[in-house]
Parts: sequence; structure tokens; C-alpha cells
Amino acid sequence: MSARPGVRRTAHRGLLVRTGVVALVGLLTISPLYWMVAVAFSTRSELLGGRELRLWPREVTLENVERVFASFPVAAWFGNSVAISLVVMILSVTTSLLAGYAFSQLRFPGSTALFFVALATLVLPVQVIMVALFRIVTDMGLYGTYWAVILPTAASAFGLFLARQFMTGIPRELIEAARLDGAGHLTTFLRIVLPLSKPLIAVLAFMSLLSSWNDFAWPLIALKENRLFTLPIGLLYLQGQSGSDYGATMAFALINIVPIAVVFLLFQRYFIAGFARSGIK
Amino acid sequence: MSFPSFSRRSFLIGTGVVAVPVVLAGCGFTQQSSPEGRQGTLTFTTWGTDAELAGFRSAIAAFEAANEGSTIELNAVPYEQMFTNIDAQLQAGNPPDVFRVPYYTFGAYAGREQLLDLGPLLSAEREEQFTPQAWAAVQSAGSTYGLPHHTDTSAILINRDLFAAAGITEIPETIEDAWTWEELAEIGDRLKAGLPSGTSPWAYNWQGNGVTRWLSLLFQSDGAFLDTDQVTPLIDSDAGREAVEFAASFFSQGYVPANNTIASASYASESWFSQSVAMVWSGAFQIPDAESTASFDWTATCAPRNVRGGGDFGGNALVATAQTQQPELAAAFLEFVTDADPMRDFCRGASLLPTRADLLNDDLEFDVRSELAPIFAAQAGVVQPQDVAQVASPSMSAIIPVLKEQLDLAFAGSQDAATTVANLQSGIAAATGA
Amino acid sequence: MRSPTPRRPGRRREALAAYGFIAPNYALLLVFVLVPLVGALVVSLQRTDGFGAGEFAGLENYARLGSDTLFWRALGNTVLFTLIVTPVSMLFGLVAATLLNTALPARPLFRSLLILPMAVSGVATALIGVLVFDQNSGVLNKLLGTFGLPAITWQSDAGPAFLSIVLVTVWWRTGFNMLIYLAGLQGIGPDLHEAARLDGAGTLQRFRHVTVPLLGPTTFFLTVLNVIYSFQVFDIVFVLTGGGPAGATSVLVTYAYETGFVTRDQGYAAAIGMILFLFALVFAAAQWRASRTKDVAE
Repeated sequence: MSARPGVRRTAHRGLLVRTGVVALVGLLTISPLYWMVAVAFSTRSELLGGRELRLWPREVTLENVERVFASFPVAAWFGNSVAISLVVMILSVTTSLLAGYAFSQLRFPGSTALFFVALATLVLPVQVIMVALFRIVTDMGLYGTYWAVILPTAASAFGLFLARQFMTGIPRELIEAARLDGAGHLTTFLRIVLPLSKPLIAVLAFMSLLSSWNDFAWPLIALKENRLFTLPIGLLYLQGQSGSDYGATMAFALINIVPIAVVFLLFQRYFIAGFARSGIK
Repeated sequence: MSFPSFSRRSFLIGTGVVAVPVVLAGCGFTQQSSPEGRQGTLTFTTWGTDAELAGFRSAIAAFEAANEGSTIELNAVPYEQMFTNIDAQLQAGNPPDVFRVPYYTFGAYAGREQLLDLGPLLSAEREEQFTPQAWAAVQSAGSTYGLPHHTDTSAILINRDLFAAAGITEIPETIEDAWTWEELAEIGDRLKAGLPSGTSPWAYNWQGNGVTRWLSLLFQSDGAFLDTDQVTPLIDSDAGREAVEFAASFFSQGYVPANNTIASASYASESWFSQSVAMVWSGAFQIPDAESTASFDWTATCAPRNVRGGGDFGGNALVATAQTQQPELAAAFLEFVTDADPMRDFCRGASLLPTRADLLNDDLEFDVRSELAPIFAAQAGVVQPQDVAQVASPSMSAIIPVLKEQLDLAFAGSQDAATTVANLQSGIAAATGA
Repeated sequence: MRSPTPRRPGRRREALAAYGFIAPNYALLLVFVLVPLVGALVVSLQRTDGFGAGEFAGLENYARLGSDTLFWRALGNTVLFTLIVTPVSMLFGLVAATLLNTALPARPLFRSLLILPMAVSGVATALIGVLVFDQNSGVLNKLLGTFGLPAITWQSDAGPAFLSIVLVTVWWRTGFNMLIYLAGLQGIGPDLHEAARLDGAGTLQRFRHVTVPLLGPTTFFLTVLNVIYSFQVFDIVFVLTGGGPAGATSVLVTYAYETGFVTRDQGYAAAIGMILFLFALVFAAAQWRASRTKDVAE
């Protein structure tokens, strides 16, 4: 047992070191984002000139942001992104909760095989199935509507994975008690399991929102016209045939990131609590 | 630890915040009535800079005014994935009626019967109105499958200030005075000696699909990469080796920055704007940008010549899809847009070169730095039809990756010109199925 | 937890209910993932450019893969990429989570900073990467210049190009790993640490013998996800290096994409996709089987 003052000094030094390390890591992490913001508000000539490193722009300008808003229907695209992401979120959360419950608490033949199939779909990148999927979407008459993006995006096993992981942690006794009281499976799910799963719902909601908000490869193909496009597609417009307009590109990236970052920061305590509670152990 | 709960007020606020954008949205939850097949309506998909799109819009407005009851719906999409989308749409059976396509991609669609044969639909005199090289660019299997809308070819943009710093003041002003390859190498050496450190003599614009601009060097040596059958490779020749050696020397002699490779993520023009290089190969479309952004005194001169002058035939054609339900209307629209006045206005505003013989002359004007137009016009004039016809091959899309791979290896110094050219020969043969 | 009682009559009802519960999710998966997957499999057995019907070619595309150096390089790069990025980003995530699990000033601020990269899309991340890593005018080389260090050829040399992709991906993925580890750490009771400390274990020893083993399930979960993601990497490579220089950073998905949409050899591209799928599947299945035994750890 060491002397008291010694312990406190060591603890104090430890705190300094830890804070220093975290601060350094935080700085490293945030600097690319800082750079994005700096470029978004720099003039074109500033971006092209100079071999020395300038830590902030000589002249802060809104011209890139103005150019972006003038050249593209940003408000409409923003609306499209919101509409699509919200519906994907609702669909994805609902289907994942239902399926996760089944896999974690119910017994049924073929459950292992079916779970394996779901796992298989997770490893498949969209580029491999793009053309075949497009044909299906067209045959179903979805092409040219939001549903061409919403349905394939909501078709994911990631939420199922997460939900199952969480729901395995729900005490069996609670469920058994409800069943003994005569509750049907659906009632048990709605009355007992769902209220206990609020953290999980928060996590599922956020993850599906995030992935659908940033998705661009599939929406570009599936949304026929300019007026239906989502925000991330806009970034591609700025990668022209002839070279990049970095100022406008970063301004646009900023417009794309800010909403989701705001949602993220405002609601992060729900997500953190959610991740902690999701029993991902 | 209780789960943080929502207050009713924040819920209502949240709903409000969400509802506004949804109302702004283009309401894409239901099918809007589809324009395809509607009598008198064409869908036209294209990418473009602001100037190009403006040019298209005014041409469309004029066409609609002159043709009562017709509507052209312009759909502007990003260039990067445009052709992935067109492919998917063609395969699923609902492509646009009309779209814009680079000449080096034209063959991929024409050769696979995806385009409307315009031969029977065009007026008889249409062919003579275009330059021979432009006409050659839209031919496939003996018929015409598109109309050449504009072209662009690479000349050289020069940073006069940097040239003066290296003591070079004489810059060729006509195509006849253009540097030979030896003279260009001399200029390169003088620049290397006289430029500030960290600056290179030039950058070449062969990034990405721009690899076709290397072909300019091949043509300048009077070489070819395909025979007139568009299948037999011809690149394994002295001209081929010479063109590869010369291009590779840009790297081994330090004439270009080390990252001026084909696979580079940054375009050559960027290093010119940032004054890392004294000159850059570039098309005329760069002129408006250069004028507004370059903080130095600059001008243009013609590309070098070896055995002859030669250049790539860049630019885009307008085509109609074979599946269109309005073939006559599509053909009429294409003819209208390539008439003299619409083409002149488009090219002047977008700083591109026309494909009509009556426009590609000394009267050519640009909105910006019009005194440089004759340089680019002259450069376009030395492009030979037989050079262009090779690019129109249906296998061009498959040939481009072969070029990219082998040339990058040659530039990295990993293989010599003879091996590169031999690999190109077999790679091109594999691509065309020779 | 097998029930010793004989077959319950409610079993069938339970099974039916279960099928009903999974039906919505699986209906979506069936129509929008599994059916196209079968479609891609069929195309991989054809010689086609996508337009019009292809001709049946059996296993010809797969046979071609064997001698295709570009394919093997893409495969090698993908494996190397996965082998580096997965442990590195997970380690960084673990360290960050451990630090954030202790008392620190402004902890929520730091936490927000470290997970913010997650909110950025892959394309935007890669574009920021272009700004930072451009070897002529990028931020990083300018920074090296101010310290008198030589500029690194991030685009024209294979090693640095590969490193640039790794660095960008680690920057992007660490936040997610940290988040999951943080949750896992908070699930480890403080009494276990107390007991270990009383036994005289130092910080590092406690970390090695208490924390890491109890994080086993979390680690397996993250390993599966990170490997899956690494095999599928596309946006970052496509935008940042385009697979260059000379294919040094080409990965399976970029190669498949170029083959399918640039060269338009759709049958071959589908075959590449199938191989990718198989590899990732085998790995994920193996990991899953291994982790199932750890699933029941408390």
C-alpha cells in the first residue's frame, strides 16, 4: 500500500497523460474535417496558389456555397434525402426488430440456415448485383420513384444482426411469464420486448438513417431524374469531365454532412446509451 | 439508469423540422406520368458544365418554338456515372430517347446495336456539312449512328511568366511554326534549367479516360493503333515505339511532375493553375476557367509535330437510342442542334470547337480570349479522318484500359517501349477479338 | 438451454409465429438481394456485354480468373488491405474507448470528436483525402515541407498510395470501433477491476488479463464487421487513387466494377463478384462459428 500523496501524484500525472493523448487524437481526427471547412470557404485562387501551408484562408468567402446553391436544386435534393432516409429508417427498424426477436427468442426449424443466409447478404457489395437489381426494380415499375431506392436499401441484414444480439440479453423469465399469462407471440413482442428495447431502437434508427443518408451509388442509378436525386449525388456533379472545383465540392460535402452531424450530436446520448445497452458484449 | 426520455415539445419540433423538407421534396413516392412514348416528347440525358447546359437549353427552346407541340425534357446528370446508368437503362429497356456521348464511347453503343440508325432519317446534304474527320467519328458498320455536336483537341496553354523566368520568349503562333519533338525537348531542358525548384516544364492531360490523348503522339508519328477494319491492331510499329519512348521520356527526363501519370487522381490542369508546371496540354474548354482563375499572364500554342501534326478527336456526339419511340422527332432534333446557328452559339459560349466545315475556320469566335480560337481551330484541322475512325471502333472501351495499364508501366520505367508496344498489340487484339 | 420436457404443442404455433416475424425482413432480402444474386450468378456463367442475351459459357469466366494477373493483384491488395486495416482500426478503437472510459475533462466533447468521421460519407472522405494527400499541392506534403522534410510521392509510388488508402480508412472506421468497444467496456463491472487491483495487478496487466478477455465477444463481432467492410471497400479506393499507380491499389470491387462497366465484360465481372462473395462468406461464417461459443460469455 503506497503512501497517500504518492498515489495522488501518480493519479494526477496519469490524468494529464490521458488527457494529452486524447486531445492529440481528437486533434488528428478533427483536422481533415477542419480542412474541409477551410476549403469550402476559400476563394478559387487561394486554393490554386502557393506552396506554403496556410492554416486558415486569407480571405473567407461564401462564393462556393453561393455557387452550389445557384447551380443545383439543393433544397429539393435535401427534401428527397430526408424523405427517403426517413422511410428507410422506419421500414428497416420495424423489420429488424421483428426478425431479431424471432431469432433470439423463438425456436423454429431452419433458423440456423436462415440466419446464415442473412449473414451472406451482408457480405455482398451492391456493385455485384447492380444490373440485375436494376432490372428487377424496373420490372416492378418502381423506377422513377423513391421506392426504387427505399426498398433495396431497407433490404439489409445488418439491423437483424444487431437486434438479435441485443434481444438475446432479454431475460427469458419475463417472456415465459407473459406466455404463461396467455399472451400471444405478437402481444408479448409489443408489450414486453419492445419497451425493453428502446436503446436498440435508437441505435437501429440512427445506423439506418446514416447509411441511407450517405448512400449514392445505388440512388444514382435508381432515381431516374435530376429532380429526384439525393444530396450525395450532388458531389458527383462537381467531379466533372475536366477537373475538380474543390471549393464547391467541399462546400457541398459540408451541406451534406451538417444535417446528419447535427442529428448525431444532438441525439448522441441516446445512441451511446443504446450501444451500451444493446448488450453487444 | 433510465433511458433519456423525449419531451413532447421536442417531439413536435422534431416533426416540424422533418416535415418541411419532405414538403419541399419532389414528391417522388408515386410515379409521375412518364414522358417516354408521349407523342411529341423526347427525353434527353446529358452531363455538362454550366455553359454547356445553358447552350443546350437555348437550343431546346429554339427547337420547341420552331416545332409546335414538341417537348424536349433535359435531364442533367453527373458525368462520372453517366454511362453506368445508360447501360443499366438500356438493358432494362427504358433508356432516354437522346443522349450525349464522347466519341471514344460512341463505338461501344453503336457496335452493339443500341443506337438508332440515322442513315435513312437524315437529309441528303447533311454529310457535307460536317468536316470529314467529324463525320468519320459517328460511323459504324457503314452507317451513321449519331451526329457530331462539337469537338475539342489539345493544344498547349503556356504560363508566360514562368517562360520568361526561364528566358524563353518565342512561342509559335501558327500551326506551321509548331515545335517539332526535338524542339519541344530542347524547350523542356531550358525550362528545367531556368524554372524555380519544385516546378516542372509541363504536364500532359492523359488522366483517366484522357489516355486517348496519348494517341496524339502516335498520330504525330504517323502511326495507327487499328487498321481500317477497326479490328486488326497496328500499333506494333516504329511509330508506336517512337510515341511510347517520347512519352516515357517526359518522366525519365523530368519534364513532367512524377504524379502526372494516367492513373493520377489530380488533373494536369490543376498543376498548371497552381504554377507547378509552366505549360499544359489542354482543350479549348479550359479557356474560360483559365481567364478567370489564372493569376499569371498566359497564352496558347499548337501541339508539337513529328512526322506530321496530329491530335486526338475529343468531344461529344449526340445519339438517339434504337429503342426510341420517336425516331423521326429524334432525328429532327439532332439535325436542328447541329445546324450552323445553334452550333455556333453553343461553341462560342462553351469554348468548344464546332464540327461543321462552315464554322471551323478563321471566323471562329469564343466569348472569352477569342484571339486564341484560331490556334485551336488549326489544331483541329490537322486531325485526320483515318485517325478518328479508329477511335470509333466498338472495342474502344475495352482498348482504353489496355492503354492505361501498359502506358503507366512504361512511364514508371518498368518496361521498355518495345515490350510496351508488343503488349499493347496483344491487348488490343484481345479487346477486338482479332 | 434445452428443455427436458417432451415436445410442446405450442411448438408449431411458435414456429409459425417466428416465420411471420421474419417474413417482412426476408421478403425484402429475397426480392432485392437474393434474386439479383442468383441473376449475377447466372451472368457469371455467360459471355455477355450486357446488351441482349448472353451466350452460355459454363465455367469459362472462372477458368480465366486463374491466369489473370490483374485479378490476383486485386485479390492480394484486398487481403493485404483487410489484414492491415482491421487490426489497426480496432486497436485504435480499443485504446480510444479505454481512455474515454476513464475520468477525463470534457469527455463528451472528445467522444463527439472521435465519432464524427462516421457521419461523413465514403466519397466525401475520399475527396478530403485527395486534398490532404495530393503530392503536389496537398496539405500533408506542405506540412512536411514546413518542417524541412521531403515530400512523399503519395500518388506515383505504390507503397505511399497504399498507405494513403489505409490511413484514410482507419480515420473513417476507428470511430465506429471505439463506439462498440465503449459499450462493451461499460458492460464490464468495476468490481472485477477492483478485485484485480487489490490483487496487485498494474494497469497494463489488468488490461491484458481482465479487459481484453471479457471483450472477446465484442472483438469477434467487430472483426466480422470490419472484415466484411474491408472486402467491400470501393468508394475510398475509387475516388482517392482510382486503383493506381499501375494497379497497386486496385481491389476486388474496383476491378469488378471496371470490368463490368468500362470494359463491359459483364460475365467476367460477375464471376469476380462471385469469388469476392465466396471469400467473404467463408470468412464470415468461420468467424461466426467461432464466436458462437463466446456468445454465451457474460
